[in-house]
Amino acid sequence: MRQLPWLTLLIFWPLLAALTMPLLRRSRTACRRFALTASLIELAMAGRVAFFFAGPKADLPLLEDVAWIPDLGIRYTLTLDGLSLVFVLLTAFIGVCCMLASRHDDAARPALYHALILASLSTVQGVFLATDVFLFALFWEAQLLPVFFLIGIFGHGERMRVAIKFFLFSAVGGLLMFLAVIALGIYAADSFQEPTFALDALTKLELPVMAGRWLFAAFMLSFAIKIPLLPVHMWLPDAHTEAPTAGSLILAGLLLKTGGYAVIRFALPLFPEAVATFAPLLMFLGLLGLFYASAVALAQEDVKRLIAYSSIGHMGLAVTAIMAGSRLALGGAVILMVSHGLTAGGLFSMAGMIGERLGSRRIAILGGLWNKAPRFGAAFLFCVLAAAALPGLSGFIGEAMSIFGLFQTHRPAGLFAVAGMAATLIYLLRLARDVLFGPPRTNAAFPDLDARELVLMGALALAILWLGLFPNAVLSIIADPLDQIASLVWPTTAPRLGL
Amino acid sequence: MTAYFFEFFPHLALAIGGLAVLGAAMFRAHPPRGLLPGLAAFFALLPGLWAFWPDTVASGMTTFFAGLLSVVTLATLGLLSRYADRRGFAGDALYGLLLWSALGMLLLAEATNWLMLLLGLELASLCLYALVAARVDDRLGAEAALKYFLPGAMALAVLVFGISLIYAGSGSLDINESLAAGGPLVAAGLTLALLGIGFKLSLAPVHLWTPDVYQGAPAPIAAFLSTGSKTAVAAALLHLAAEAPTDAANALWPALMGIAGLTMAIGNIGALCQKSLKRLLAFSSIAQMGYVVMAALAVENGGGEAALFYLAAYALMDLGAFGAVGALSNNAADRDAIESYRGLGYVHPWRTGALALCLLSLAGMPPTAGFLGKFLVFGATLRAGYAGLAIFGMLMAIIGIFYSLRVVATLYMREATAAHPVIPAPAGPAAGLTLWAVSAGIVALGVFPGPLLAAIARIVGAE
Repeated sequence: MRQLPWLTLLIFWPLLAALTMPLLRRSRTACRRFALTASLIELAMAGRVAFFFAGPKADLPLLEDVAWIPDLGIRYTLTLDGLSLVFVLLTAFIGVCCMLASRHDDAARPALYHALILASLSTVQGVFLATDVFLFALFWEAQLLPVFFLIGIFGHGERMRVAIKFFLFSAVGGLLMFLAVIALGIYAADSFQEPTFALDALTKLELPVMAGRWLFAAFMLSFAIKIPLLPVHMWLPDAHTEAPTAGSLILAGLLLKTGGYAVIRFALPLFPEAVATFAPLLMFLGLLGLFYASAVALAQEDVKRLIAYSSIGHMGLAVTAIMAGSRLALGGAVILMVSHGLTAGGLFSMAGMIGERLGSRRIAILGGLWNKAPRFGAAFLFCVLAAAALPGLSGFIGEAMSIFGLFQTHRPAGLFAVAGMAATLIYLLRLARDVLFGPPRTNAAFPDLDARELVLMGALALAILWLGLFPNAVLSIIADPLDQIASLVWPTTAPRLGL
Repeated sequence: MTAYFFEFFPHLALAIGGLAVLGAAMFRAHPPRGLLPGLAAFFALLPGLWAFWPDTVASGMTTFFAGLLSVVTLATLGLLSRYADRRGFAGDALYGLLLWSALGMLLLAEATNWLMLLLGLELASLCLYALVAARVDDRLGAEAALKYFLPGAMALAVLVFGISLIYAGSGSLDINESLAAGGPLVAAGLTLALLGIGFKLSLAPVHLWTPDVYQGAPAPIAAFLSTGSKTAVAAALLHLAAEAPTDAANALWPALMGIAGLTMAIGNIGALCQKSLKRLLAFSSIAQMGYVVMAALAVENGGGEAALFYLAAYALMDLGAFGAVGALSNNAADRDAIESYRGLGYVHPWRTGALALCLLSLAGMPPTAGFLGKFLVFGATLRAGYAGLAIFGMLMAIIGIFYSLRVVATLYMREATAAHPVIPAPAGPAAGLTLWAVSAGIVALGVFPGPLLAAIARIVGAE
């Protein structure tokens, strides 16, 4: 079975499924069934690939490498190591959640709706698997297209303006990074006597200091926009709020993660010198994001917008942890991102349910849902507590590791991170209070979770619980790749701290 | 004799093809509907077949442009035949002039002699003036033809003056020889010649005729105009840039850099505020030529290969975009206002899909040819050391993304309005097939550029 090109299948199976969707456009049910089946097959394939990691670790990572444009030294190289695997699994899982998330958004053009979701899964898997920098840049740009259409066609409010805003923000970063990729290729061609874009080769490149810093800045700008880091976060609240539920799931669960993943996979090993120089600035921006997001989230009137701001805060903490220069915090950042993908996914799904049931997501008309819809209330509280890093749930492991790591290397930053998490608690608890408790502020009926929604929330809750109770499964899988990256970036301070 | 025949086979095919079309109309006053375009397509196909012949004797540039122009002409014929038929301006002159214009472009692209360059340019342009005005009852078309003709005549005068200066300074009409001679007269002549070429290539600040002409010309003719003529003139520019003497290059290159930057800026920013799709595409084609000039500056560092690939990609994108505009129009006038494209994506998914794909490719989105074209052009520019220009170009490309997206968003994200009927004339099988082929070509060049890149590398290596 190992002979099958699993990684290629992981990327192109959803795309293939997306391309066959138009055949089913007559029937909404057929579209839903087919899309759900396709995403389940994707999850099964991701699980099959994960199985390789359970056996003897002789021939890992999985590698698929074909010459693509030989004249330019561009290769079709996909690599699956532990770090990629975690995100590949997350992508496949969130993909299934997207298919279950909504029964309202796909009313108008079900085939197109599901095809766009599948296509975006495809491009995101590409980002997580590509290790040829050109190929990565291609997927990086390509992942904008399906989400652009998803927001613009199926979104709410001023969807067209929001979609264009989202696209432009990301494209600005993407194109400058594209230029940096080209420049990197030229440096590589000069120093190795033959053109190459292979990540392994490029990490051995001796860049001039200033050039390295500029290129890092271009890469980092692109990643920061996607993460999003503070001054370039403006696209996020609009996009998350106006996107259809599945779009929000993809944005928060996957697209933001591609940013964090790319920092770890590409920015760190390619430009170690620049990382050391810019780390304090990036940590500062990450922490600033944590406080800023908390402050702004407190003032939000819309549940979905509030959750969107919480993404900025959580991802800011993840960036701070990545840049901390501590191996422990680096592992924590990965857990934090996966956990955020799950909790934000759950919260956005439920914000979508509120919108579908009441026609509005304003906090002013909510309240008392705990009594009206107990199952909904339990799921909502569970996700809020997971986002607030309750011990035993996934958020806790990530935040604890990040903060321990930060204290090892940057004590003040660690202190601020603790304070920032406390600030996070304030708005999360306020969210739970205003939505779930107190007297109901409208008389509108609020049906409880139906079977489909129960399956969705149950799956998410199980994943959150599993990650919180048994983080070691993930930690041991990502240990080797992260060790390698840490030894490239922080060669002197890379003893394996803690886990 | 046979060798000569084989060497000039594409030229003969195009010239005889034009005559054959005219002749066929002479013998049959009312030829059956598909005869003339079919005849023209047959003769337009021959240079393409010749280009793929295994052991050609001709220069690489001739082979490349015989192939490219064959594709462009065939695609134009496919887009034009039903379009012209339904609007009542199909005829022997239309197809004959199209073939002869392609012949002029081929001569221009491969010219190694100043007189041949001039001759090719004029043959191509004279036919095009008439083609733009082909729809006699359309006042916009006549106006466009005049607006095309006057700057064209001006460009010709400047070019001829430049060539005469070069001849006076070097005593040779061979392009390589005369430029190698160098000297102030040659440098001055080269400046004027480049100015004349800049007119034809619609580089800023001598681009003003372009939007008006593209808007007024029938859409398939605008497709031909913006692809065939632009690519051939760009080939001449590449040739001159590669052969320019050092002293002239030192003086001219900073100016050319400024022109490249200005062209990208004016093209992209100009497109931003257009309400007419054809004008928007015209400004976009101005911007694309800015990228080509950027590649021409880097001709010592692989800019030639990059520019040739970009030209091929650009030809497909503009053929598709203008072709789709033509296929989506009704008989009275081309569908021009961007507003009138609202929600069209769901009514005519295939034709609109081709338009959207071309626009995304013009914006440089993967997995299209535009993405790889940008990669090559900016790679050459960075390699030649023009980092500032490259960054500026990228920023302009971002503006390019914005207006392309705006149109794509109009196609898919807004509801159709009653003010604009959504029923265009049927596109006809030839136009449909052409749009399919062009779209497939755009994706194929973006995903498997290897064969074309290898062919281009052979050409540039042989030069």
